[in-house]
Amino acid sequence: MPHDLFEVDKSIPERKKHIYIKDNADPAQEIPSCNTKTIPGCMTERGCAFAGVKGVITGAVKDAAHVVHSPVGCTAYGYGTKRYPTTPDMPDGGKFPLENFNLKYIMGTDLKESDVVFGGMKKLRQSILEAAKEFPEANAIYAYATCTTGLIGDDMDGVVKELSEELGKDVVAFNAPGFSGPTQSKGHHVGNHTLFQHLVGTKEPPETTPYDVNLIGEYNIDGDLWILKPYFEEMGINILSTFTGDCCHDEICWMHRAKLSLVRCQRSATYIADLIEKEYGVPYMKVDFFGPTYCAENLRAIGKHFGLEDKTEAVIKDRMDKIKPDLEFYKEKLQGKKVWVFSGGPKNWHLPRPLEECLGMEVVAVSTMFEHEDGYEKIKERVKEDTVIVDDPNSLEMEEIVEKYQPDIMLSGVKEKYLAHKLQLPCVLIHSYENGPYIGFEGFINLAKDIYAAIYNPVWDLVEFKEEVEKTPKLIEEVESGDNIKLKAK
Amino acid sequence: MSEVKVTKRERNVIINPLVTCQPLGAMFAVAGISRGLPLVHGSQGCSTFVRYGFSRHFREPSEIAVTSLHEDAAVFGGRRNLISGLGNLASRFTPDLIGVVTTCSSEIIGDDVDGFIKTARQEIKESLGENAAEKIKIVAINTPSFVEHHYRGYDNAIKAMVDQVALEPANGNDKLNIIPGIVNPGDIREIKHILNMMGQESIMLTDTSDPFDSPLRPGSTQFKPYYPKGGTPVQELEDCSNSSGTISLCNYGAQAAGVLERKYKVPSTIGPFPIGLQNTDQFLRNVKKFSDAEITDELLDERGLLVDSMADITSRYLFGKTAAIYGDPDMVTGIAGFVCELGMTPQLVCTGVENQEFVDDMKEVSKKADGKVEIMYGHDLRSMEVRLEEEPTDIIIGHSDGRLIARDLDIPLVRVGFPVYDRVGYHRVPIVGYRGGINLLDRITNTVLEEYYDPVHWKLQQ
Repeated sequence: MPHDLFEVDKSIPERKKHIYIKDNADPAQEIPSCNTKTIPGCMTERGCAFAGVKGVITGAVKDAAHVVHSPVGCTAYGYGTKRYPTTPDMPDGGKFPLENFNLKYIMGTDLKESDVVFGGMKKLRQSILEAAKEFPEANAIYAYATCTTGLIGDDMDGVVKELSEELGKDVVAFNAPGFSGPTQSKGHHVGNHTLFQHLVGTKEPPETTPYDVNLIGEYNIDGDLWILKPYFEEMGINILSTFTGDCCHDEICWMHRAKLSLVRCQRSATYIADLIEKEYGVPYMKVDFFGPTYCAENLRAIGKHFGLEDKTEAVIKDRMDKIKPDLEFYKEKLQGKKVWVFSGGPKNWHLPRPLEECLGMEVVAVSTMFEHEDGYEKIKERVKEDTVIVDDPNSLEMEEIVEKYQPDIMLSGVKEKYLAHKLQLPCVLIHSYENGPYIGFEGFINLAKDIYAAIYNPVWDLVEFKEEVEKTPKLIEEVESGDNIKLKAK
Repeated sequence: MSEVKVTKRERNVIINPLVTCQPLGAMFAVAGISRGLPLVHGSQGCSTFVRYGFSRHFREPSEIAVTSLHEDAAVFGGRRNLISGLGNLASRFTPDLIGVVTTCSSEIIGDDVDGFIKTARQEIKESLGENAAEKIKIVAINTPSFVEHHYRGYDNAIKAMVDQVALEPANGNDKLNIIPGIVNPGDIREIKHILNMMGQESIMLTDTSDPFDSPLRPGSTQFKPYYPKGGTPVQELEDCSNSSGTISLCNYGAQAAGVLERKYKVPSTIGPFPIGLQNTDQFLRNVKKFSDAEITDELLDERGLLVDSMADITSRYLFGKTAAIYGDPDMVTGIAGFVCELGMTPQLVCTGVENQEFVDDMKEVSKKADGKVEIMYGHDLRSMEVRLEEEPTDIIIGHSDGRLIARDLDIPLVRVGFPVYDRVGYHRVPIVGYRGGINLLDRITNTVLEEYYDPVHWKLQQ
C-alpha cells in the first residue's frame, strides 16, 4: 500500500490519504491527497489566506503602503514577517526616499466592536486617506480584507475605486479573508488575479529592449534576487519586472511589455504568468534556480530562447569554477546524511535532487504546507523510492516522522525548528533562510554551509551528561583513614 | 512636579501597532498550564501567526491547535469544527487542560462555544471513557479580537481558568496567587526566587517560565506528544481559591484577581510591576500584607547589591539622560519609575492601550522625574517615531518592533519585553526584582557607554 496511516493518527484515519510512500510501480497520478481542509484540532503549520497575499505576494513591493482592514491583531501580525529586503533603486534611475519602507511599516484600520456591528467602510476610507497623508511618497496603497471584514461584508472594491480617483494613485483591494481557502495558497491566487486585473497593462516602462523578461515568483528572500540579477545582466537579459521581490508598484503595471515571463515560484505565481500570456501573448517558461545543476540547465534554456548561448555558458562556467572547491568539501562532509525537507510547497521539488546529487545526501522525507496536485506530481517524480511524502503534517506526525525515518537534518520553518531541536534533530530555516541567500550557484553553497554547520554543531555530541567517573582508589583510602594532611599535601 | 503632557492618537489608521489582539494573550496564559493546550477557534492564521511570534521570541516550540474555520463555517457556524477539534485534541494529546480561545471569526459568527463544549465533553466521555475524560479540563475563553488588546486577552484567559477550574474553597493553603502578566521566563523565575527567599509558597497564574525556556534533555522530556517541562499544574489552579491572597503584578490582571476576590473571598492587590527599587520594595510589602513571610537578610543583601550598583554607576554615566519607553503599559510605567531612580528622565512614554489607569500611574511616576514627561496612550510606534524626530531622546527602551525606527533615528535601543527577536537571551534574563534591576541598569548603562562614551574612550580608562 502506498499510503500509510501513522500511529499518532489512529483516531483521525482520514489522514492516511495525505501520507504517501513513493513506489516506482505506482501510476503517476498516485500522490498524497492535498489542498483540502485541515482536520480541526490539529497543530497544523499552515497559515491563512491573508498571510498568503500580504506575507508572500505583496509584502515585497518597496513603494506601496499596506493597509490591513482588520482589528489590530492582523495588522500587528502582518508586520515584518518575511525577510524581503529592498533597495531604494527605482527603474527611472531615481531613489525611493523611504529606506526599507516595506519592512518598516504596516498600517491598519483598527476595527472595534462598533465597526463589526455597523460596518467598517468609513474607517477604511479614512485610514487610506490618512495613510496617503502620512506617507505621501508611497506610490500606491494596498488594502487587505481579513476574517472580520469578510464576515461583515464590507465592499472594499467600491471604496478603493473612489479613493484611487480621489488620490490620483492606485489603491488596490485584496479580497482574501483569512478563512478563505484551505491554506495561504488561496491568498497567492487572489493576489495574482487582483494585481493582474487592476494593474497589468496600465502603465508603460521607461524603455524596452528585445531582451526584457518578467521574473515572476521571485520575492528576494534574504537577497535571492540579488544573486540572480547579475547572471541575467551578464547574459544580456534585462529584468523588466520582478514579481515582486525588490520591485516597485509600476513594475507590475508594465509586465505586459516583457518578451518572456520566467516563473520562479510556480506555486504562488504561475497564475499571473498564465493570465499575461492569455491576455497579452507573452509566453512563459517555468524555471528552477536551486542547486547548480538546475540553475545551469535553466539558464541555458533562457539563453537559448534569446540566442545568448555563449554569454550564458560564460556565466555558468564562471560560477561553477568559483563554487567547485566548496561544493566538493561539503559533498564529502554531507555524504549519506539523511534529510527531511518541509517547505511551503515548491522547495520540496526544487531541493531533493540537488541535495542528493550535488551534496550526496539522502532525502528520506518531504512534506509541504500548501502544495497542490501539480506540485506533488513534480515532488514524486524527483524523490527516490520509499521516500515518505506528507501533505500538511501536524506536529504529532512530525514526531513520528523523526522516529521512523531518522533524518540527520530538517529543512523547515521557525515554528518547527525548536521542536526539532528538542528531538535532537538539527534544523535549518528554509522559508526565510538562516545565512542565505540560498538560490543560484553561490546560494547553494550558503545552504550547504548552513546544513553542515547545523549537523556538525558540537552541541549534538554533548547532549547527555556522562556520569561515569573513574574512581581513584588511593584517594578514597586516604580519606577513609582520615589522613587529611597527607591528602592536602598532594 | 515635572511638566506632564498627555496625548492620544488622533488619526484612525494605526501604524506599527504596539498591541495585538486578545487571542495572543489568552494563548500565552494557557501555555503556562502544565500539559495545557490552547485550541484557537478561528482561522489558521490566528494560531500560526502567534506560534510564529512565540517561537521567534522564546526560541522554543509553541504548540497551539486550531479549529481551521473556513467558508463553510462562516455560513453554517463552527459547531462541527469545535466539537471535532476538541475530540481530536483530547484523544491524540490527552492534555490536562484545553483553553478554547475565540477569535474575530468565531465571535462574529456567534458560535455557542459553551454549548459546543458541553457536547464535545459528552463525545469525549463516550470515546475515552468517563475517567480519562474527567481529567481533561476544557475552559471557554472569550477573546473577541476586535475588543481591546492582547493584555485583555491574557486577563480574560486567567479569569476564565480561575472561574471555571478553581474548586470551592475548603482549607486555606497559606499560598499566594501571583498573576505575573505577559512577561519573560526570567522574570517569573525571579519572582519565584524572591518568594522562595521569603519562605512564601505561591501559585503562579500561570507559569510560562519552563514551558517557554525548556531544557534539551531527551531522557526527561515527554514526547509523542511533546510537552514542555513545568507550567502550573491543574491541581494548583483548582487550589488557588484556598490561597491567602492574590498579587497581580500587572494592572491588566485585575479582572482575574477580582474573580478570586468576589467568588472565593481571596483578597487581592494589583501592581505595581516590580521593576526597580521602590516597586520591588512595594512587592515585598504586598507579600507581607497576606502572610507572615519574612524579609530575609539575604534578600536585603540583594537589595543592597542593586543600591550599590546605582551608587557606583548612575550619577556618573546616566544622570540627566533622557529615555523614550514603549510597550506593555505596566512594564513601561515600571521602567519609567526605575529610570527616575537612576537620575534619568522618561521624556516620552508610549503604549498602545487606551487606558486611563496608565495615564494616572504615569502621572504619579512623573512626580519623581526631573524633566518634562510626555505620556502617549492609545498610540503606535509611528507616533513615537514622529515625536522623536522632533525631540530626540538619548536612548529608547522597548521591544524589537522598534528596531528600524531606532536605527533610522540613530538612537540606541535598549531591548526589553516582548517580542525581542533580533538579539538572544533576553527572555532568560529578568528585569524584575532587585537582581533584575541590576540587569536592567547594566543593560542601560552599557548602551549609554557604547553610544556616548566610546567616542571619548579615554573617559572609560577608569
